[in-house]
Amino acid sequence: MIISSSSVILIGILGLLGVGFYGLLATRNLIKVIVALQILVKAVLLAIILAGNLRGQVNLSQSLALTVIVADTIVAVIGLALAVQIRRYIGTLDVHSLSNLRR
Amino acid sequence: MAAILILLTIGLPWLGAVLVWLARDSRPRLQNILAVGFSVAAGLAALALIPSTSSGTAIHLAAGGIFGDFTFVPDGLGVFLAVVATVIGSLAVIFSIDYMKGEAQLGRYYALVLAFIGAMAGLVLTGSLFLVFIFWEITALCSYALISFHNDDPKAVAGGIKALIITQLGGIGLLAGALLVYAHLGTYEISVLLEKAHLIPAGMLAWMAFGFLAAAAAKSAQFPFQTWLPDAMEAPTPVSALIHAATMVNAGVYLLARFYPAFEGVPGWKTAVIAVGAITALMAAVMALVSTDLKRVLAYSTVSQLGYMVYAIGAGGVFASQFHLLSHSIFKALLFLGAGAVIHAVGTRDMRQMGGVGKQMPRVRTVFVIGALALAGIPVLNGFWSKELVLETGLTHGPWLAYLVMLVGAGLTALYTFRCVWMVFYGEPRSHLHGHDAQTAMQIALVPLALGTLVSWLLAGPFAQLLAGSLPFHELEAHSTLEVLAEVITAPATYLALAVVALGLAAWIWRERLSGLASALQGLGKWAADSFGFESINRTVVSSTQRLAEWLRGSQTGYLGWNVAGILAGLIIILAILAWGA
Repeated sequence: MIISSSSVILIGILGLLGVGFYGLLATRNLIKVIVALQILVKAVLLAIILAGNLRGQVNLSQSLALTVIVADTIVAVIGLALAVQIRRYIGTLDVHSLSNLRR
Repeated sequence: MAAILILLTIGLPWLGAVLVWLARDSRPRLQNILAVGFSVAAGLAALALIPSTSSGTAIHLAAGGIFGDFTFVPDGLGVFLAVVATVIGSLAVIFSIDYMKGEAQLGRYYALVLAFIGAMAGLVLTGSLFLVFIFWEITALCSYALISFHNDDPKAVAGGIKALIITQLGGIGLLAGALLVYAHLGTYEISVLLEKAHLIPAGMLAWMAFGFLAAAAAKSAQFPFQTWLPDAMEAPTPVSALIHAATMVNAGVYLLARFYPAFEGVPGWKTAVIAVGAITALMAAVMALVSTDLKRVLAYSTVSQLGYMVYAIGAGGVFASQFHLLSHSIFKALLFLGAGAVIHAVGTRDMRQMGGVGKQMPRVRTVFVIGALALAGIPVLNGFWSKELVLETGLTHGPWLAYLVMLVGAGLTALYTFRCVWMVFYGEPRSHLHGHDAQTAMQIALVPLALGTLVSWLLAGPFAQLLAGSLPFHELEAHSTLEVLAEVITAPATYLALAVVALGLAAWIWRERLSGLASALQGLGKWAADSFGFESINRTVVSSTQRLAEWLRGSQTGYLGWNVAGILAGLIIILAILAWGA
């Protein structure tokens, strides 16, 4: 049985996706939510690069991946800055207690 | 050149909307100047567009993908309606200076009116079905927000919500039609649809045709959606004149006229259009006869006259319908603004409390009577020529039963118009109301409309050439003014209709002697005052939509986990559909 490298990477992508989504669904701590989001984005990055390899458009996929990395870093920085401010002013990082919507 | 003018016509009102809003409500004078300046400039840009009318695409913006190409085409139909929207829009804005004096949140009012004018111009000038839908929805949103302008009045809020929900039902029909066009032709271009309509399977084309008819009926307050327009009268009167008489409610008629060449071959479609128009025209005329609220009478008469236009399109008279649209926009805007001046002066909309107002407001009385005579179809005002043209088209190309209904409607129109004029302006004052004649800005807005009502029929020839020269798929003939007028004068239908109008007039003059008949018809009157039961149907639709919304709101918990789960579920559904399709 021969397992190609791309299927190994595919399994890795699915694993990362699973971890990321589980993190988003299960955690209530804002810091952990941001970490889960990061893991999710890493899975997407891998998927982009894999797709570029398979279609023979490595340059395109790599430049796209770099763009995603930049955007993703900004998301992480702003998210963490917000988390610090929320902890300071509200006193908790529990995302459930942040909601002000009427239920 | 045409491209720049189109951009100005649509862009100037929108720019004005932003600037008025930025000017802040603490400076109402600046807001007035900005609003008038930008709306008048847009009107001038639209008028300047008339010489560059052509069927060619003036602006082409390749948006690509599922959005298709964004195109703007300055053809006769579009330019004509853009002129109506911007010119009457600027007159309504000028009228508002006096009417809205001292109102709080003037910025919100002007911004919404200007946004509406721009969207209406875009709706008629665009050549892309996708953009038609977008502009269509923007006009609906502006209309909703302006009906509910006095948002501390529960009746105004309810009227706005009702208008929004009912017109959205029509919007769904339009969207479905647009998507079907894209699915079959791979483009949203209206010209491609008109050219290649025969390539679409007959069943699909029928779905589209009736979807568009539903959209038009909802927007133009036609049967069975007619009850939202009277409730929309809670809006400030200039808004009623602009949106709910002269422009937005015409969008449905525009849609039918625009796509007539594509759908005329669909079996039963023309009959359905005629039926919708005829039923609406008669029903609304009867309702106008029993209403006692000045603005509601005018609203019902708008619904009725829109019925005439729809009927004309069903009978194949695209030119007749657009000609009547032109006349109607002018005289109905005049009537509404005149009514606004009266309401502003006496402080009530109930006609039973008015009477004898004409002595206090002679100028307003003069222009209102001019508008009323045009509405009733008295020669030689513009309403006479266009209505006779509609009736004549209906007699030669439509079923005689529908023609008979329209004829009765014309008689009723004369009857309710004279009743309205009499109750408001003549007779003895029924209560101690102190009116004062219209102020300067109001007069500036009223005079051009009165002049237009007197002479706009002279434009029949140029108007016919404008339409015929730039609408390659409509098979219109370019008549001169004299030919159009001769056609009306020589047709026997004209004298029949005039006789019926005179009968309606006579019925009002001898109303005392006919009191026996009136009491015999009291049951019908009660039924009409109750909107023939359609009010309850429309109300059920509105309340069930609101209940559904309240129920769906439960899904908005604000929990992050819920939202992520929703995204995941959506992803899985899309993947499943893709896998199933492949």
